[in-house]
Amino acid sequence: MINKNVIRAVLITLFFGLVHFVLIPLHVPRPSFIPGFAPPPDMWPRVVSLLGLGIGLFSIATSVLESRQGVSHDLTASLPVRVSKGAVVRLGAVVLVFAGFAILLPLLGFLGSSVLLALATFLLTGGFRYRTLAVLLALFLPVALQLFFANVMYTPFPAGSWGVLPTLR
Amino acid sequence: MSKILKSLLAGCALAIATGVAQADYPEKAVTVVAPYGAGGASDLAARSLADVARDYLGDQPVVVINKTGNGGMNGARFVSESAPDGYTLLLARVGMALYPAVQESSPVGWDDYTFLGSLEATPMILAVSANSPYQNAQDLIEALKSGASPLAYGASGATSIDGFTVQALLSDNDLDPLRAATLVPYKGGSALATALLGGHVDFLAVAAGSLMPHIEAGKMRALMVYAPSRMDTLPDVPTASELGFEKAGQISGWSALYGPKGLPEEIVAQWTGVLKQVGDDPDWLTLANRRGSISTAGQGDLAAFARSQYELFNGMAKDFGYLK
Amino acid sequence: MWNDIIFAVSSVATFANVLAMSAGILAGVVIGAIPGMTGTMAVTLALPFTFYMQPVTSILLLVALYKGSTYGASISAILIKTPGTASAACTILDGWPLARQGKAGKALNMALVSSCIGDFISNISLIFLAAPLALLALRVGPAEYFMLMAFALCMVASISGNSLLMGIVSACLGLLLATVGEDIYGSYRFAMTEDMKGGLSIAPVLIGLFALPELIRMIVFRDGPQGKAMKLGDNHLTLAEFKGSFKSIVRGSFIGVVLGAIPGIGPSAAAFFSYGEARRSSPNRDNFGKGELEGIAASESANNGCCGSTMIPLLALGVPGDVITGVMLGAFMIQGLTPGPLLFQNNLNEVYMLFVGMIFSSVLLFIAGKLTARYFSRIAAIPQVVLGPVVLMLCIYGIYAISSNTFDVTILLIMGAVGFVMLLLDIPAAPFLIAFILGPMFEDNLRRALAISRGDLAIFFQSPISWLFAVLIVFFLAYTVRWELQKLRQKRAES
Repeated sequence: MINKNVIRAVLITLFFGLVHFVLIPLHVPRPSFIPGFAPPPDMWPRVVSLLGLGIGLFSIATSVLESRQGVSHDLTASLPVRVSKGAVVRLGAVVLVFAGFAILLPLLGFLGSSVLLALATFLLTGGFRYRTLAVLLALFLPVALQLFFANVMYTPFPAGSWGVLPTLR
Repeated sequence: MSKILKSLLAGCALAIATGVAQADYPEKAVTVVAPYGAGGASDLAARSLADVARDYLGDQPVVVINKTGNGGMNGARFVSESAPDGYTLLLARVGMALYPAVQESSPVGWDDYTFLGSLEATPMILAVSANSPYQNAQDLIEALKSGASPLAYGASGATSIDGFTVQALLSDNDLDPLRAATLVPYKGGSALATALLGGHVDFLAVAAGSLMPHIEAGKMRALMVYAPSRMDTLPDVPTASELGFEKAGQISGWSALYGPKGLPEEIVAQWTGVLKQVGDDPDWLTLANRRGSISTAGQGDLAAFARSQYELFNGMAKDFGYLK
Repeated sequence: MWNDIIFAVSSVATFANVLAMSAGILAGVVIGAIPGMTGTMAVTLALPFTFYMQPVTSILLLVALYKGSTYGASISAILIKTPGTASAACTILDGWPLARQGKAGKALNMALVSSCIGDFISNISLIFLAAPLALLALRVGPAEYFMLMAFALCMVASISGNSLLMGIVSACLGLLLATVGEDIYGSYRFAMTEDMKGGLSIAPVLIGLFALPELIRMIVFRDGPQGKAMKLGDNHLTLAEFKGSFKSIVRGSFIGVVLGAIPGIGPSAAAFFSYGEARRSSPNRDNFGKGELEGIAASESANNGCCGSTMIPLLALGVPGDVITGVMLGAFMIQGLTPGPLLFQNNLNEVYMLFVGMIFSSVLLFIAGKLTARYFSRIAAIPQVVLGPVVLMLCIYGIYAISSNTFDVTILLIMGAVGFVMLLLDIPAAPFLIAFILGPMFEDNLRRALAISRGDLAIFFQSPISWLFAVLIVFFLAYTVRWELQKLRQKRAES
């Protein structure tokens, strides 16, 4: 039967297979200037991805055998056994929030996106239970951090192409 | 009502901003981007400049930030893409001309900048370990030519400036620049110096700053200097051009001040004046001396020099087969 | 020599020096403890201030910042599972479980005590063992580095948790990610965008991998101690606990001293080495990774054990071993001092003043640690649901400030997601990290050694140092295999 061990082993195999057969030939060129006796740049990534591929195939074999024999190992002992629907929705929300931050960063600027990100994470963790504290932190922590880095370390923060918020200096 | 007020305020702000920019340019801190790590040649040059230039910029501070990665191109790209208002400048090194010359594609071209002025020349030294049998450059070249035992040299990579120092020397002596000596790559001047001290490579030609302490301590021997003239601290060591090496004679390390393309005339003129004053400043000269570099602040035609450097490295990259 | 030292003591004890060191240590601890802010940042920030200080004062300030931040990193590692710097990553393995058990204060105290002892031993070694260690540092060439790194990578077995196989998978991931960007010859690997040409920096990968998965997990599963604050139970380190870890502290300190003295290896490798060795030889080995004080002791003594000895190649040879000593070299040069053999001839007095000041700073570190620990351990009392987003903000700003590059922030977030997937699949994160840090050194030195020998593998067995590590590798692998077999047999017997 398919269990988590098998899924994990298949994922590992797929990943290292992708790296070895697709990414390395495409993105690791062999320049002409490296002398023949020194290992070329793709030697090491190839060795590592082959090792990973080998382990992946080995674990597919062992985990299928084990599940046939009915031996079950507690794979995710540190996590709840049953995954609820809410968990999947929240995971999607996390991915959306992170991606949204990365997309907004060049448009809205560092400060605005950070405030939004802070609000969103407070919302997601359930930190809004402490409503005033959460809102205050989400607003003032980024402002304080930006003021600190901009004035003490002269970090140039992107202001955002929309130009909605002024850059703090 | 509020709309009118807003546009009025905006108009005022704009008027003030442009007015001031033309009257006296630095009205806030000027940022100089050092494209390599803290403590390195570009960082120390930037910090020394920041320290001295403040006095000539109406007491506006000059701040240094390090934006490192990808052979200095991350910092260069950041500056070339920022607004040409004179508040973001680049402490350019020889790498800004070298990288576009030797890579198939470069994020920033050699001339995607406004050239403000040169700052310093940082000589490079061809050196061997003190217990090496080679007493001068000729000994080393003879040994390379005989090819009896292959020699290894240290450099920061095949297409780095300290790789080209050796490859140019080999090419000047009609040796195969890629095969007459074995390149052993190390990251950074101190790692290279350590490799030579430990006897893991036979020779190298890297920035004087990383080697001078060891030469002074008698652990290394300088064979040749890559600089326009002999170094004050090494009066007996000949330069590459004195020995008649054409390509090697043109290679040297240098720093300059670049801005984004399209910097207003007034700002360029102001910096030209500032750099002239910096070049005469005793503090600047002392700091340059301690870094082991020769101040060139306010001298020469930077744009022409940058072009000649680009063409030099581009020509070699084509000769050596790095570029098709 | 003794007259010189006594003279140095009297001349180093000026108000300016003591102020510089106290301020440096305190600022270092605080900066190190803030996630996303590193010791390198602290030292870089202070560099311009040193231009017009007395030479000894300026170097002492930088050293103090370095030491303070190395200890400070363990605070955030223990309390919020976010290593302030890479060297504290090993401290997380046991520090965070201890904090979850309500023993944050105990863990902090253990980290402080072992840091100070490591620091002190390191300073003493700097004074008395500088010459032999400097000689050793030069003897370590590419072949020896390679063997050393091979041995270090074997330590993956010690930090793999339940499954050795998954530990190796994690290490492979780390090794692959470390190859992104420019290689030593100057060609590009996996450079799919312009930003990837520069490679992935350690800080965003490290923090993304450890701190963010905990936040995502809290959001997704809403389990753990999210609403409640952690208990602040017993905070004191008992004498018995200290004695139990004493062997690991001393051993860790010396591992730190030796590895710190070899340029380029640094405190993170030392911490992992020490941790692996402590776990192998400790009677409590099964408790490692579940909240074992000895694990903290081993890792913290080793990373602070590097602080003094990392000055050995700088002072005795004039070659900095890492970024921070690189900045210090710059500071020395701006002061008109040239580190290296000549420093001991021309500026012996300054050297002794520096030594005395550094020993003194171990004491200051202890005081600063004690003073701040009380306040820091209160962080554990903040509800996790509030702390999580705050840590995220600190990380994002800190990571951005290191290189002023939004790419690093993106990497931080992506690594957070990767770390969460690894958590779901029960793939341990620690081997990823050690492989990510050590992998480049392993590969680069392999390629260097083969370039020097022109492809002849015999270069790896030419010096006693290589042989020593070869023997250690065989011994360690044999030991690991035996242990794994034992575990397997036990499992069989149970089922």
